Amino acid sequence: MSDDLEFDTIQPGLHARELAEVRCLLAACQLELDANIDVFVTVRRQGQLIACAGLSGNIIKCVAIDAPWRGAALSLQLVNEIVQLAAERGHFHLFLYTRPENQRFFSSCGFYPLVEVPGHVVLMENTPVGISHYCQRLRMLRQPSNKTGCIVMNANPFTLGHRYLAEQAAAACDWLHVFVVREDVSFFPYADRYVLVAQGLSGIPNLTVHHGSEYMISRATFPSYFLKDKGIVDSCHTAIDLLLFRQYIAPALGISHRFIGTEPFCPVTNKYNEDMKYWLQQAEAKASAIEVVEIARQMRDGLPISASQVRRLLAQQDFSAIRPLVPVSTLQLLLSNYAEPEAERYG
Amino acid sequence: MTLRRSMLFLPGANAAMLSTAFVYKPDSIMFDLEDAVSLREKDAARLLVFHALQNPMYRGIETVVRINPLSTPFGLKDLEAAVRAGVDVVRLPKTDSAADVHQLEAEVERIERAAGREVGSTRLMAAIESASGVINAVSIATSSPRLIGIALAGFDYVMDMQTERGDGTELFYARCAVLHAARAAGIDAFDVVYPDVNDEAGFLKEVELIRRLGFNGKSLINPRQIELLHQAYAPSKEDVDYARRVIAAAEAAERDGLGVIALNGKMIDAPIVNHARRTLQRADATGIRQ
Amino acid sequence: MKIIKQAIAGTLESSDLQVKVSPSPDDTLEIILSSEVIKQFGQQIRRVVDETLSKLQLTAGIIIIEDKGALDCAIRARLQTAVLRGAQCEELNWEQLS
Repeated sequence: MSDDLEFDTIQPGLHARELAEVRCLLAACQLELDANIDVFVTVRRQGQLIACAGLSGNIIKCVAIDAPWRGAALSLQLVNEIVQLAAERGHFHLFLYTRPENQRFFSSCGFYPLVEVPGHVVLMENTPVGISHYCQRLRMLRQPSNKTGCIVMNANPFTLGHRYLAEQAAAACDWLHVFVVREDVSFFPYADRYVLVAQGLSGIPNLTVHHGSEYMISRATFPSYFLKDKGIVDSCHTAIDLLLFRQYIAPALGISHRFIGTEPFCPVTNKYNEDMKYWLQQAEAKASAIEVVEIARQMRDGLPISASQVRRLLAQQDFSAIRPLVPVSTLQLLLSNYAEPEAERYG
Repeated sequence: MTLRRSMLFLPGANAAMLSTAFVYKPDSIMFDLEDAVSLREKDAARLLVFHALQNPMYRGIETVVRINPLSTPFGLKDLEAAVRAGVDVVRLPKTDSAADVHQLEAEVERIERAAGREVGSTRLMAAIESASGVINAVSIATSSPRLIGIALAGFDYVMDMQTERGDGTELFYARCAVLHAARAAGIDAFDVVYPDVNDEAGFLKEVELIRRLGFNGKSLINPRQIELLHQAYAPSKEDVDYARRVIAAAEAAERDGLGVIALNGKMIDAPIVNHARRTLQRADATGIRQ
Repeated sequence: MKIIKQAIAGTLESSDLQVKVSPSPDDTLEIILSSEVIKQFGQQIRRVVDETLSKLQLTAGIIIIEDKGALDCAIRARLQTAVLRGAQCEELNWEQLS
């Protein structure tokens, strides 16, 4: 009967003093306070903070327990509380990053390992059938093929550059699987991006467009992908995302080749591409290597076509400049949903 | 005469506790669906208690369920679960008047009939948690033949009185009122929970006080307190010897067909005989006080 | 009865179990059971689970059970709680729960 432990929740934006205590506890456990935490569960004994666990959407992070209290019922209670809290906030499928030596503890708390970057980090989820059910569904979409390729695109928005990449890849393979990044943090909402991809790729016969998932470039598996503007890169995140692809997704669909466009502008994407060559081809892993094929971007007026360029032109409402860069379907959506009404003229 | 010295509170949402608490041997076990259970776990606790009550491990102990007030969305469902699962006693929180008991009674009877349980088999217990409850203690205590006792609940009562728990002065009147009401109605009286589980001396001091006042028992939140309480309630050797002599005299009088019981030239009437029986009952349960 | 939304009940403390339910994409009933005592008591646990779910007349859902040595009464209770939450069932039918 641990009646002397007090459980509470704090929100980083509201409880500055408590947050400072959490930061100290994390530091004592060699952890940094993650900037994206929505809410913390805290445990106090006689007013003293002895444990905490943070939640960022459906990802559990910043779990710290003061040394004398580890390995006791408290640890289990803490994880239980954060899981309950997540459920109250509508998140039932949870992910967790932790150091490999903590994997066993979280296993006893109902978490199951997905992939490990040896010596660094392991990604876990709170269900024994998350990734396996997902791969089961993918396997049903397998196509008879000797050479199966894959492209993962954010398509923010879909451009002729994307079309070009897909055409080249489809021509080089028996079948091509195209995944659209699911996470809804880009300028264009996922619903629009997916529709534009499907419309933009119509006519290529040996191609399947897939909805993205939490297991592929999501906030859970690759958070820094969405912090490109800040130029933040975390190689552990790219490793996790790429290992998930190599160990689970590619085998389910029989994918042997991954196609990417060369990246002249964005350092994060460029780094991701470099990491891809390492983790998919060279690194030792439980699954066979995937060949990474880089295809030079399609050019227009001396510049490679890119979605970021289209977004810049959209901000300027320069539709005539956008027109040659995108397929008709994309232009139609931009004009109908993203065109600003003409400003009234005065004077 | 059921001994009800110790009533152990168990939080209804805690599966581990419900699965293991039978090893402690309190006189009664109270499964709490009210204050010990958070709002989001009310449904879970109800089902845990529903099933635990039907498990053979609780067959030998008197079971009590503290339901949520009937004015909440939970109370009636709790009552259905408790009665249908065969609980011995339903504890009604925040009993302020006899009407509260009558309302509970009506619902209990309805459920007994619907569930095919012997009408009247579910007993009741009223918990006094407010000034009004204390004032109405007598009418509450005499409101129903199903009542086996009334309890004083310290935490809420003290808040209603706009004070805080201290050395017992704050409970003085309430304790006396509840006790008198119970005695007048011929039912048991139960004292408050002692919240500091680490303060053994303080607990024993309070137990001594309420035992002297005449309380039948006390609500407990920690199994460690059970043995302490039972020991404190154990009669002394002198008490037991005297009790034995009283019973012997009563039995002799009955054998010889005498209308009056005499011991050492003095008349022994019914209250003394009953008291002697209770003493021996406690002695049987715990032995003689060391 | 069908599971129409995700729900969770119970804890992973010793002598308890955690039950997670979610809707089935293909309208089937799938039960995934893991237990610390699967070797000694797996069959018995399975029996209690099947009995409880059939009394509830549950036809579709994904039920993930992680048992930490819970008694039958706890298994019944946690399963029923999770299923009722996941099926958004407010009314309690006591015949189905006994």
